[in-house]
Amino acid sequence: MATHEEIRDSLRAFQEGYNKNKKLKIMNRDWNRVVLIEANDVESKHTLILKDGELTVCEGATDNPDIIVTADSETLADLFYGDITPTEPYMNGTLIIKGSEDDIVRLDFISLMIWGE
Amino acid sequence: MNDLVKLKKILTLRTIIATSAGLTLSSSTFVAAVQVAGFLVGDAAWLAILTGGLLCMTAALCFSELNGMIPSAAGIRLYFNHAFNDRLALTVSLLYMAVIMGVIGAESYILAEILHEAFPLISPLAWILVMFTVVTGMNIVGIRIAGWFQDAITYGLMVTLISLAVIGLAKIDFQLSAPLATGGAVNLLNAVAVGVFLFVGFEWVTPLAEEVTHSRLISRGMLLAIGILSVVYAVFTVAMTATVPRESLVNSPIPQMLFAQTILGDTGTAIMVMLTLAASITTFNAGLIGISRFVYASAREHVLPSIFSKISLRFFTPWVAVLSIFVIGVLISLLTLFSHRYLVLVNMAAAMESVIYVLAGLAVIVLRKKMPDAQRPYRIRGGYIIPAASALIFSLLALAIFTTFPRVFLYLGLGMLLSYWYVTRVVPRLKQLQRQKRASGRRRRRPVAHAEKQGD
Repeated sequence: MATHEEIRDSLRAFQEGYNKNKKLKIMNRDWNRVVLIEANDVESKHTLILKDGELTVCEGATDNPDIIVTADSETLADLFYGDITPTEPYMNGTLIIKGSEDDIVRLDFISLMIWGE
Repeated sequence: MNDLVKLKKILTLRTIIATSAGLTLSSSTFVAAVQVAGFLVGDAAWLAILTGGLLCMTAALCFSELNGMIPSAAGIRLYFNHAFNDRLALTVSLLYMAVIMGVIGAESYILAEILHEAFPLISPLAWILVMFTVVTGMNIVGIRIAGWFQDAITYGLMVTLISLAVIGLAKIDFQLSAPLATGGAVNLLNAVAVGVFLFVGFEWVTPLAEEVTHSRLISRGMLLAIGILSVVYAVFTVAMTATVPRESLVNSPIPQMLFAQTILGDTGTAIMVMLTLAASITTFNAGLIGISRFVYASAREHVLPSIFSKISLRFFTPWVAVLSIFVIGVLISLLTLFSHRYLVLVNMAAAMESVIYVLAGLAVIVLRKKMPDAQRPYRIRGGYIIPAASALIFSLLALAIFTTFPRVFLYLGLGMLLSYWYVTRVVPRLKQLQRQKRASGRRRRRPVAHAEKQGD
């Protein structure tokens, strides 16, 4: 089981990877979305805000997200550190994502571009 | 998950019904409708269609329970994985996608024939290439058909079909003379088996589970879509067979055009061209999106070669997956165009769909035993009766198709063996290659000491 701090650190690693990728920022400049990341085994909620191509990470939940990502803490930390791809936990049901299909696929594209296969 | 948090964008029941019915309504469904009538001697096509719809409702109930339990866009892949095992889930999913590609091939062929009928100077081949290029281009650039447009097309299409049927029946002052004359139980069974094809794709709405507030909306939407479609198909098929000689309809890939032409002349042709074009493009587009996403996700999971996970840096779309489907789709369409064997594809889809529904019924039973305490927002009433009946009925229907069309059994059997071989021989190698590549090419990013301390 990962801790809230580990999840936060993984999200910061994800944010760092995102910010290093200028192409990714340009590609996402019209994709303004709010993503809620929540663990289902520990008390941990974070919000990713994508606005004008910039990604910020905030502690805590938000009222009306566009996408909700739910998994156990270990999966979330591994996922945002890029140690696992989202597809495998998604396909075995460990990772649950709510939102429009296009947004979910876009989030996976971003992860692929930051961490590779 | 926190139930208090609500998504910004959610889908309504209206759009769910339109999506479920819209994916089902296509050019090839009219061919299947005429096939249904062809099995029966009297005006009993309505009976077979309504029975087919009713049977599909039992499958829809099974999908509702599964979808409520596991609300995911991964759909059958995940349901069958939980109920049986990943190997079976993957084998069936790969084959299912291949059959859906075949349906797209049949669909494009039929649509090309319709357009060729309306514009004889342009060959069907040119139409096939134009349609595939347009839809592929839309998918690569990332243009999506808006929800309201899908709603307008689906509801407009259903209203127009009913109107045309009423006009046709009124013109000949139709009287139901032999509403129950089926020509025997075997004929009725075959008609119902093919009739199931009319509803193929209703369950493709389950991936929208991630975009609704409550999974009950999906089950309601599916059931209502099947109910409405049953009535539309039943009335339209009876009108077609009552106004146009049955032999002409059965031997034509475009029976709906013959019907429209017979009752309204050139105006009817123009209306039907527009209707079919709208219906086909949405079905075609949805099929292409669904398959390209499946191919992309499979490549991300290392089930297919990683080249299929390449994305366009300009449009954020899986362009290799989309282009590959374009090539395969055009090849299937060309094969259909030259062989004219579109009915094999239609019957294969009906049989495959029956197999999927059998597995869905069994999955409900297995999961109730395997995961008795799992949350089920929707649970089919009456214990095991409906899932067991659904599994049994669709087994019989699949058997009926296999015995009537042995080629279908042969092709699907070969497809199943090929898919199983791929899953058991090729997929483990692809996964192993990926593991080696990972081990040599990258280090673990998550701080190792901390992760190990946590027992990772």
